[in-house]
Amino acid sequence: MMSRATQKMERISEREFAVSRTFAAPRDLVWQAWTQCEHLQQWWAPEGWSVPVCKMDFRVGGTWHYCMKGPMPDGSEAESWGLTVYQEIVEPELIVALDQFADAAGNVSPEMPKMLNTITFTPVDGRTKVTNHFEVASADDLETLINMGMEEGMTQSWDQLDALLTQLQK
Amino acid sequence: MARLSTTTDVFNAIAEPQRRAILELLTEGELSVNEIAEALDLNQPQASKHLRVLHEVDLVDVRREGRQRIYQLQSESLKPVHDWVQQFEQFWGRRLDRLDDYLQSLQKAKTREETNDEPSNTEDGTDL
Repeated sequence: MMSRATQKMERISEREFAVSRTFAAPRDLVWQAWTQCEHLQQWWAPEGWSVPVCKMDFRVGGTWHYCMKGPMPDGSEAESWGLTVYQEIVEPELIVALDQFADAAGNVSPEMPKMLNTITFTPVDGRTKVTNHFEVASADDLETLINMGMEEGMTQSWDQLDALLTQLQK
Repeated sequence: MARLSTTTDVFNAIAEPQRRAILELLTEGELSVNEIAEALDLNQPQASKHLRVLHEVDLVDVRREGRQRIYQLQSESLKPVHDWVQQFEQFWGRRLDRLDDYLQSLQKAKTREETNDEPSNTEDGTDL
């Protein structure tokens, strides 16, 4: 299933990407949806998955420790734990956060890739534009990510490859 | 057939912005070294050097046509990177779709509260 929006992921450099979306909602509400567990638990996990554990200390230097749980393609149940560290918060405009893989105890998996997220919230005529800029920490991290596939995305197939891939397959 | 490049080789090759620019150019079709150099404002030796790196990791293929060397995008090598970006994009697309739905349902619920409507117990919140 394609995302309904036509937004493209912007490839900024080999390790940097950005995705933007404008929501028909005031900025304060979008900010809350992004910064409170009761809201995040409603939309953060993929279709068919849940967020059974969500512990957030939303302040600079604070962490968000969460678990996403759901079915794998083979029918088994999988858990994916994340630990996000908030590096910068400008309410209600900006969040800079380091996403990391973790375990249930909140220990960061040191060998796993890290990604720096910079999320901006901009009011546009009563609506809110959110841009999430992703920077994979290193080329090694990107390679690891690619080799493991999208851990949460594995349950989903992807649809159309764009012009570049079409070209590559000729 | 050259040895298969590792993903790391490919990453190193595309880490350089001008080499990425060359690949982008070649998505439009095959080009000679001179055409590439001109389009990217490089001199011919610079362009050749980048093309050599791309060729080593099988990202481009080359053929001779008279005195010209013509390059074309070749590679399956970029496919894993490309597929991953694609998956990542779709993953986030769907996540933002869910946020969009959720924000709509929150606002509907809020409007209902404010207008003090009779609570409707069927549709509210069930599609989260």
